[in-house]
Amino acid sequence: MRLLGANLRKLLRRPASWVTLLLLIALLALIYFALIAAARTATDPQAALGARLFVTFPRAYELVLTLILGIGGLLAVTYGAAIGGSEWGWGTLKAAVARGESRSRYSLVNYAAVAVFVIVGLALAFLIGVVGAAIGALVLGAGLDGMTDRDGLLGLPELFGRAGLALSMNAAFGYAIATVARSQLAGIAVGVGLFFAEGIAGLFLPDVFQWFPFSASSAVTAASGDAAIGGGGASAIVTQLDPNTAIIAVVVWLVVALGVTAVFTERAEIGG
Amino acid sequence: MTTGSGVALATQGLAKRYGPRVALDGLDLRVPEGVVYGFLGPNGAGKTTTMRILTGLVRPDAGRVELLGRPFGRGDRRRLFEVGALIESPAFYPFLSGRENLRSLAATGAPVTSGRIDELLTLVNLRDRAGDKVSGYSLGMKQRLGIAGALLSDPRLLLLDEPANGLDPAGIVGMRDTLRALAAAGKTVFVSSHILSEVQQLVDVVGIIANGRLVREGPVETLLREEGSVRIRVSPGDVARAGAALAGVAGAPAVAAETGPEGGWLSVRFDPGRADELNRALAAAEIYASRVEAGTNLEALFLDLTGSRPDVGSAGEPTPPPATGWRS
Repeated sequence: MRLLGANLRKLLRRPASWVTLLLLIALLALIYFALIAAARTATDPQAALGARLFVTFPRAYELVLTLILGIGGLLAVTYGAAIGGSEWGWGTLKAAVARGESRSRYSLVNYAAVAVFVIVGLALAFLIGVVGAAIGALVLGAGLDGMTDRDGLLGLPELFGRAGLALSMNAAFGYAIATVARSQLAGIAVGVGLFFAEGIAGLFLPDVFQWFPFSASSAVTAASGDAAIGGGGASAIVTQLDPNTAIIAVVVWLVVALGVTAVFTERAEIGG
Repeated sequence: MTTGSGVALATQGLAKRYGPRVALDGLDLRVPEGVVYGFLGPNGAGKTTTMRILTGLVRPDAGRVELLGRPFGRGDRRRLFEVGALIESPAFYPFLSGRENLRSLAATGAPVTSGRIDELLTLVNLRDRAGDKVSGYSLGMKQRLGIAGALLSDPRLLLLDEPANGLDPAGIVGMRDTLRALAAAGKTVFVSSHILSEVQQLVDVVGIIANGRLVREGPVETLLREEGSVRIRVSPGDVARAGAALAGVAGAPAVAAETGPEGGWLSVRFDPGRADELNRALAAAEIYASRVEAGTNLEALFLDLTGSRPDVGSAGEPTPPPATGWRS
């Protein structure tokens, strides 16, 4: 617990934590601004309807999370890579190991702190997103009656849990890449590269790439057959995994990422 | 507290390769308890690799390590609870303050007693800047914080890689006093350094490595005495007679006439503490020395044993040692 506490305090003071969160919130705000503007000015009724969907409760709850997963997946992989890679780059892992700390324990507890921050960030972004959707609903005259819809509210914890797990997996993925690369910069670059590569590749081979980390994670909250903003921000992808299958894929990727992190850290020769 | 064996740290046949490059080639070290041990070697000799092996960062290809009287290998990480280390450059989070960094480090490895962090910040003279972010620290301040980090768990064995790096003169004196005090309290301090004059003042025992092997180990005073030399300048016309007189005291193989731009110099491999005997022998032969330079220093010994040559100003070929150097 003392190691987890120390890591949480560390991340709280780390500029990357706040920059990532602010970026997520800013992007979310921008999307809602664009949606509201599009709904007000669209001449195509289909497009206007589509935009209104994002501000109509209770469905807006799920769509806010879907939006966050789409943007947050990229930010989570970047954040995970930044935290994981810096332990190697700054030599702080070296200092801990030289004090007799268990390598894998140190690495996994550090990741656990990252996951806590990702979930806290998700909660804050979700709140901001709901506020944005509510403002949109008021501006577009969609009403806020659905906000207190009993079924919608009861389903929120599960949706939130799924989204938290998906984003944590994305962060673990970035963390694992940076650990293997032993570098913050390489971890971020490779993580971002894979995010977009998966999105693009998914356009051509959706049956295969729907199982990949970013596509699977973006499908965990989508109702079966819904469009989800998948890996690489490729919104055109129709994610074919149903949410329950997607959750299993996400858990598998999470376990793989953490396993790779633990094994690599345990076996690595730690230099300068 | 002692280990019973009287040896704080020992390695036997330690070997490590990085691809085709041999970093350690059967290194045998023996560091007695309660001493400051100077670990010297030219760049690439294997010092840092040794330090990394001793702290479990890197695994040796062969050989054994014994820490505080017990074997240290894979799975023995808890042995490091009694070891403090500063390997290469100090490692800190730049966005945290000095105190927060020590707190973060204290959350790893062996538990740290309350109040220890403030005690160490005072010891390394960082109390006033403890709340400042490390990103604003000078190299010397980071180094001092690194030493504080190494002392967090009040270790019995302290491994320090170039601890004087970046320290100002007051910092160096402070560090020296601290390390001497630790050794006086029975702790063992293992220091690698390139500042040989500093090492000479600080350490009790020295180990010199070259090409991954130990080339000399022993108490500094003994090594300097054994490897000591005395340089004597006489009139150029008296060099042959002076050589014979000196050979009568030190033995013929120990005496050599120097060939340099300045004529009249003889070099005698001899205990510097007994230079007066040489001078007396010359006087008895009615030869009077115009200069006598007795003693050696760790730098000369180091250069001799490791085959290193001063390379500042060299444009390719190694520069031979200056004619006015200490060697015969």
